[in-house]
Parts: sequence; C-alpha cells; structure tokens
Amino acid sequence: MAINRFTTMAYSEADEMVFGHAKKPVKAGLDLEIGAGYTTAEVNYAPRPEAGESMEKLVNEYQRITKDIMARMVQVGFPSVVLETEHVQQMTNNPSWGAAVAHAQKTIMEEYHEEYGIKCALRHTPGDIREHKEFMDLRGDKMGVVMESFEQIAESGADLLSIESMGGKEIFDYAVLRNDVPGMLYAIGCLGTMDMDYLWQEISSVAQKKGVVSAGDTDCAQANTAMFIAGGLLDKNLAHTLAILARAISAPRSLAAYEAGAVGPGKDCGYENIIVKAISGMPMSFEGKTSTCAHSDVMGNLIMQCCDLWSNESVEYHGEFGGTTVQCWSESLNYDCALMNTALKSGNEKILRDLLMASDRFRDPQSYVLAYDNAYAVGEAIVKDGEDIFLRAKNAAIACCDTLNNSEGLEMTKFELGALAKATAELDAITSESETFMSECMERFKAEVPVFKPENYAL
Amino acid sequence: MLIVDKEGILIRYNVKMEKSMTPEEAAAELYPKEELYKPIAEAIFEGEEDDVIEGLEAAIAAGKDPIALIDDALMVGMKVVTDLYDQGVIFLPNVMMSADAMLEGIEFCKSQSTETPVQKGKVICMVAEGDVHDIGKSIVAALLRANGYEVIDLGRDVPSAEALAAVKEHKPLMMTGTALMTTTMYAFKEVNDLLVESGITMPFACGGGAVNQDFVSTYSLGVYGEEAADAPKMADAILAGADVAALRAKFHNH
Repeated sequence: MAINRFTTMAYSEADEMVFGHAKKPVKAGLDLEIGAGYTTAEVNYAPRPEAGESMEKLVNEYQRITKDIMARMVQVGFPSVVLETEHVQQMTNNPSWGAAVAHAQKTIMEEYHEEYGIKCALRHTPGDIREHKEFMDLRGDKMGVVMESFEQIAESGADLLSIESMGGKEIFDYAVLRNDVPGMLYAIGCLGTMDMDYLWQEISSVAQKKGVVSAGDTDCAQANTAMFIAGGLLDKNLAHTLAILARAISAPRSLAAYEAGAVGPGKDCGYENIIVKAISGMPMSFEGKTSTCAHSDVMGNLIMQCCDLWSNESVEYHGEFGGTTVQCWSESLNYDCALMNTALKSGNEKILRDLLMASDRFRDPQSYVLAYDNAYAVGEAIVKDGEDIFLRAKNAAIACCDTLNNSEGLEMTKFELGALAKATAELDAITSESETFMSECMERFKAEVPVFKPENYAL
Repeated sequence: MLIVDKEGILIRYNVKMEKSMTPEEAAAELYPKEELYKPIAEAIFEGEEDDVIEGLEAAIAAGKDPIALIDDALMVGMKVVTDLYDQGVIFLPNVMMSADAMLEGIEFCKSQSTETPVQKGKVICMVAEGDVHDIGKSIVAALLRANGYEVIDLGRDVPSAEALAAVKEHKPLMMTGTALMTTTMYAFKEVNDLLVESGITMPFACGGGAVNQDFVSTYSLGVYGEEAADAPKMADAILAGADVAALRAKFHNH
C-alpha cells in the first residue's frame, strides 16, 4: 500500500476534539462503531505465568477471561466492550496458538452478542518478535512469522489488528539513558518511522485482504519506556521534561501507521494518541486512571479527555474480592464510559472533557504538553513539514520545548528545567537538513552502538 | 477552555522539597582533595571520557600506580556520583554517562599495567528466556559496575540451562534476572529449580515490568528488587554476610 503523509490537521481547532467522537469513526466486530458518538471500554489482560506452558492451557485461560468479562458486562448492563489480547511471545512465535486463542474468544463473544445484542470487538496485538538474541532483525525471517500471525488471527476472529513495534529501540535505549536528544530524535522520529512505513503497509494489506481493521501502533517500546523510567514526581531516573520530549517525537512515528493504511482505533498505551487524533481524525484508545493495575502515571484523568476507547492497559488474571481481575477492571472502565456517554447524551461533553484536563494539567510537564490544546499545537508543528520524517519529528520536539518554556502555571524542578534548557539548546544546534542529520547519526551510532544494524531500515 | 487554580488539587512535592544546592556544588564537596585525583573524579562526574584519560595520564606521569588509580581515583569519583544519585541529587543518565567514563578509565589503567585489578565480586545479569526487553538489565549492570562489581552480562532471552552453566563457571555472589511479561518471568522459576538441583544457594535477584514480590517469593533463591538501584545494595549486603532470607527481610517491602 502507498504511504500518504499528513500535511494538514483533521480538526480545524483543538476545541473541536472531544471523547467519543472522531472525524473518521471506524466500524468493527459485532455491530461496534468506534468514535461514532459514544465511548467503549477496552479490557486488556495477561494470563497467569504458568498458563504459557502449552497451547491448551493458554486457550483455556483466555476462554475464562473472555467469559468473565462478557458475563460481567451483561450483569451490570453495559452496551459495548472491546477485548484486547496482547500476545504472549509463545502466541506470535506459533501463529496457530494465537489463532486458536482468537477463535476461542470470538466464539464466546459471538454467543453473548447473539443472546444479548452487546456490541463488541476483539483486538489482537501480536508481539514484535522480529529479533534474535543479539540483534533486531526487522526485515528477516521473523517478519514472515509476524505476518503469518496477523493472517491467522484475522482469519480466526480478530477484528482489530495492532502491534507495538520496536523499530529504533536499539538506539533509543542507548540514547535515553544518556540524555541524548539527537539520538532520541534519530531513534524514534527517523528509524521508528521508517520501520512503521515498512511494517504497516504489510499489516494494512493483510487487514484489507481479510476484511478486518488495521488499527494502529504505539511507541510503547520507546516513549513509554521513557515515561516508565521517569516514574513519579520523586524519582530521579529521568527528567520528566525529557520523557515528554520522547513522547512528542513519538507522535509522528505513530502517525505513520495511518499513513500506511491503518484506520484506528490507535492502541491504548499510546499517550501520543491525542496528537495523532488531532492530525489524523482517527479514533483512539487511551489509558490512565483505570490502568493503575498496570502502571502509575501523572495524567490519569487528563488522558481521558478525548478517548474513543478507554483501557486498563493490562491486568494479570487472578481472583479479587469483587470477582476476577478482568471483571473488576472491566466494570470500572465501563462506569467511566457511562459517565462520558452521559455527558455526550446531555451535551455536557466539553465540560467533562475540560474538567478531566484541568484536574491534571499542571501535574507534570507530560500532562501539560498532552493537554488537548497544547497537543494540538504539537500536531500543527508536525504537519507543517509532514512530508519529511526528520523535520516533522524535530518540529514536534521544538514545539514541545516551546510549550514548556512558555508555560503558564506549570511548576518544574530545577532538574526538569535544566534538562529542558539542555534539550532546547541541542535542538537549536541540530541541522535542518534531513540527509545531513541522517548520515551523521548513522556514522555516529554505527560506531557507538554495536547492536545497530542499518539494514533493518534498508539503509 | 477551563483552567482551574491547582491549589488544593495538586502539590508538586518535588518542587517543594528541592535542595538549594546544585549537583555541581554538592559534588564539589565530595571530590578527593589530592591534587592528582581531583581532576579525574571531576571528569567522572561530568562523564567526560577524554578528560578522565588525560587525568590518569597525568597521575601516571607523576608516578602513581595505574592499578591503584582504579581504587584511589576512578572509584572515588564514581562514588561521588552514586552517592548523589542515592540522595536524589542527580539523575540516572548522569550515572550512566559517568559509568561509561569510569569503565573507559579502568580499561586505560589496565592497559598501562601487567597487574590485574581486584574487584568487589562477580554478578551475573540476565534477561528471562523469551524476553528481549533488556533496558532494565542494562541499567542494573551499569549500576553494579559503577559500584565496583564485575558484571557477567548474559544478555537477553537467556535459556535457563545457559544461566545455570554461567553460574557454575563464574561462581558469582549473585545473579540478577529481569523480565517484562508475566509469562516470561515464569522462566525465573525454571532457573531457580536448576540452581537448586545443582546445590547452589546463591541469591537470584529478580525484578522488572510485571515481576512482583509475591511471584519472586515463590521460588527459594528469589529476592525481589523493586528498583535497579537495589542491585548494588543487595550485592553489598551479600558481601557483608546476608543470605536469601536476610535479603528478603531487607528488600521485601510489601
């Protein structure tokens, strides 16, 4: 499929964006429409450790998970749900395992849909297994296994196809631990986008062939790694200003899925999705306060501001007082959705959106930049040079720094301000010539990072 | 658009608690006084490899023993960095850059002598079989090296049998394991069982992603590490005589 870069914004202004509405809603699964005027919970889960021992055990585990969720949805009276199965590595490495799980889950979902009319869809997210023990091997034999996995799950019941791709991570892991802004720009903005272009043309082609939805990627491997390392307010592992810089650069990278044919909904852990939604108009999944079962963040309310699907990220399947974990978390997610949907029905969606945003706006540099008005501004910087993958990533980084440098009401520590000043100066010093930047980075990182293989990016 | 005064909604405790001293000022108080060592320690703090080598060359030219310089200058400089990191004065990337500079300095010192430096002890670092996410392991390895331990890095996606063979060969004081997923962390149990069958009682410190204290407590050698920075503290505790039970008592906080 062809690559069609975004050079304009889908929304004419930030205030147009709300939860539950996307400019380009998408139909999927069993009567579900995403971004078409209502929000839906997206429940994500992980099998218990011992379930990975055999295909039979895994299928059985996912059957229990699926039944538990569907039963709780009906018991408490929720109208729609999306289930996301992020593959454990055994399922992608053995495509028939992933297919068996998808088939078992979809069979149960169809039964509930038939009996109760609940709207639902199944997302499957194969693991990005395109690597060997020592090196990433993005275009080697493992690519065939990944694509075979996509083919088989699409045939077996998956409605939405996603992945969390790894392109650029070998450089990013090195760069982020050394406060290396040009390295982050090269890793996420350039290498990450080049891999996305390659990968998502293939995935979208499979989706089109099988009549399912090619639903998008997330920069989990890089921007979420930065967010996770940055941690809470008292952690001293990475300045939060650098974490949001990685996030801003991740937006044009995740956008590339849609430029290669994906139509959404974007993956839940893509906190950059607010920027991607502003540019592409595609529906997006988000996670925040109801994903504390998986991780902590500093924007639990704010990130709900414009969601179309609302996710819990992932929870290990086991028992709690209120039922199994998937029952508890799916119920919580759906009460959040019921509130948003009530706001939509009553015409109060912008009030609720703003309350969610305002409650976390000043919590952290990350939440400040991802507040929908500032995120929209980062989006505008990206589309300004939308055809040039380096320039648009650099623009995103500069817009992020400008937003923080000109912030009003945001308190930052000296560490955060120091890291911001250093990043701003480094960005000022970077060339605006893509070819110069790419060739300089290639030489530098070939020398500094032994596991960097340019052939992964056809370089 | 609604903007609300954050008073009563949010306290950025980190801003409130910030120390008045800059990292550079805090470091300056800790540098060695010895004229030849101080520039080396400063270069370590700044993460400037070239300046570290320059300082070492000057010290060797002035008659200092290259191997002694590892303990007397490089490790002293690195301790400034790790102490300030522990105190929350500097960030992890500073430690990583300083560790790079220190390791280059150690290699230079070794190249200037026929003697072999003595380290505090060996630690094996591995990522669970089936798991290719290794940034956590890289941080653990860097922090251990920064604290004077020799690290045997087995890399990622390490088969359990390979981990056992490495333990038998190197006889480390500890092994660390990291994993991102619940299903891959199950490999830690396999490693544990292989070690136990071979009569090995060395602590196996595990952490990362979905790994939690409850899971690590289910296998006999397991010690849960909530943060990468716990690893050198565990190694220090082992050198001071701690066994698995003592480590669990100290590091299992939940």
